[in-house]
Amino acid sequence: MSDALSLVLLALLVVTALAATFSRDLLAAVIVFSGYSLVMALLWQRLQAPDLALTEAAVGAGVTTVLFVTAIFKTQRMEEEGGDRHRRGGANEKESVEK
Amino acid sequence: MKKVVSLCFIGALGVLLLMLVSSMPRMGDPGSPTNRRVVDRYLEKAEEETGTENVITGVILNYRGYDTMGEVTVIFTGLAAVLAVLGREKRGRVYAYPDRSPVRSSIIVRSAAGFLLPFIALFSLYTVLHGEISPGGGFQGGAVMAAGMFLFAAAFGLWKAGRTVPPRLRFAVEGAAPITFFLVGVAGLLGGGEFLAYMLPRVSAGLQPALRTWLTLLVEGGIGAGGAMIFISVLMALAREEVGGGQAA
Amino acid sequence: MGRLLDNYHYAVAAVLFCTGFYSVIMRPNIIKKIIGLNIMETSVFLLLVSLGWKEGGIAPIHAGGAEAASMVNPLPQALILTGIVVAVSTTAVALSLVILLYRQYGTLDVDRLMREEELEVPAAGPEGGEG
Repeated sequence: MSDALSLVLLALLVVTALAATFSRDLLAAVIVFSGYSLVMALLWQRLQAPDLALTEAAVGAGVTTVLFVTAIFKTQRMEEEGGDRHRRGGANEKESVEK
Repeated sequence: MKKVVSLCFIGALGVLLLMLVSSMPRMGDPGSPTNRRVVDRYLEKAEEETGTENVITGVILNYRGYDTMGEVTVIFTGLAAVLAVLGREKRGRVYAYPDRSPVRSSIIVRSAAGFLLPFIALFSLYTVLHGEISPGGGFQGGAVMAAGMFLFAAAFGLWKAGRTVPPRLRFAVEGAAPITFFLVGVAGLLGGGEFLAYMLPRVSAGLQPALRTWLTLLVEGGIGAGGAMIFISVLMALAREEVGGGQAA
Repeated sequence: MGRLLDNYHYAVAAVLFCTGFYSVIMRPNIIKKIIGLNIMETSVFLLLVSLGWKEGGIAPIHAGGAEAASMVNPLPQALILTGIVVAVSTTAVALSLVILLYRQYGTLDVDRLMREEELEVPAAGPEGGEG
């Protein structure tokens, strides 16, 4: 299935996944993740899985996003800056040796 | 140092996976190992053996019924775990929902949600009831219903959503999926077939096809209603705050 | 490179898996880790469903006299349908733990959580959140 639409959808998947991973704003990451789920739903339709498309659109873009937003609302929106992480470089070294 | 090691590990994993991908059979090949053996049986016999035109529904509720029963139990256990961690509403206690603040959703959101909600509810019902013939079924319909309820909660506030779907109703329906699944399964045993045979005892053979349809619908409805209620309860548990205790949001 | 270009759906699934894995082990924030877990889950779903796809296949629904031979594989779809719903429940459990953790320690940063546990024992709560 080397059609253009699937290629575009797959590229969008990778882009949204990377954006969700590297954003510092958790709320933005969650919203991008809901876009990821929506793209995934379209891709299920391309792969002839209408049941999955329906479920993914409702669950991924709806339910999961609301749960994440609720959790962020109850905690904090921004990822903390690792401001003083370099202070305990020694501890980091130790852990990496263990690994 | 730790970072470098982790990045190297992820890179190695990626290369390994891509090498595996390049040695897999070509995608879409009808003769590839995944598309042979049991699949033909499912595709050709599902309609007469399970009475559902949608083969996926047939696989979920008949061929792999045990899997689905375990899976329904997993969802229920998930709700139980959330409630064990965060606690459940108790009768006679006052709870605050974080949205009882001066900031309200805009009139556009509220009127659009009010307009859309009946259609979403109807569509979820259709998805559950029509799932044997068209795309849909219990899980899909339950998910759509839960998403609709979440929209309601987002537009009109959790407090109003909690009033519209009162806790008593939720507590009663949450267990519907495992219970209907188990009861219909045992009824199949009593009816002289195997577990989940979709039969009832002392029903003449001529009625069996109709009965199978109705029992399948019952299980689908149980999964749909139970699943939707479980998700709503999870949302309520996540968002709720006890008055006096807890942390101000 | 073998069939890497034919199997580009699988290749994207592999890339997504690595992205999610990166998020899980490298990002210190717990919610980021849960998003990464979700990305890993969906990448596996994508792999399995595209395994069952057939060239020119149609959805496995018998309505309208569709012939069985041209249908795609229904088995992965049925398994993954339940998988999606299970993924939401695990996410819900994880998020409830996150909320409890934040209530106890006031942070979602794993590095900070580990340090805080070394430094001070928090006020006696009903459950000690673990990092």
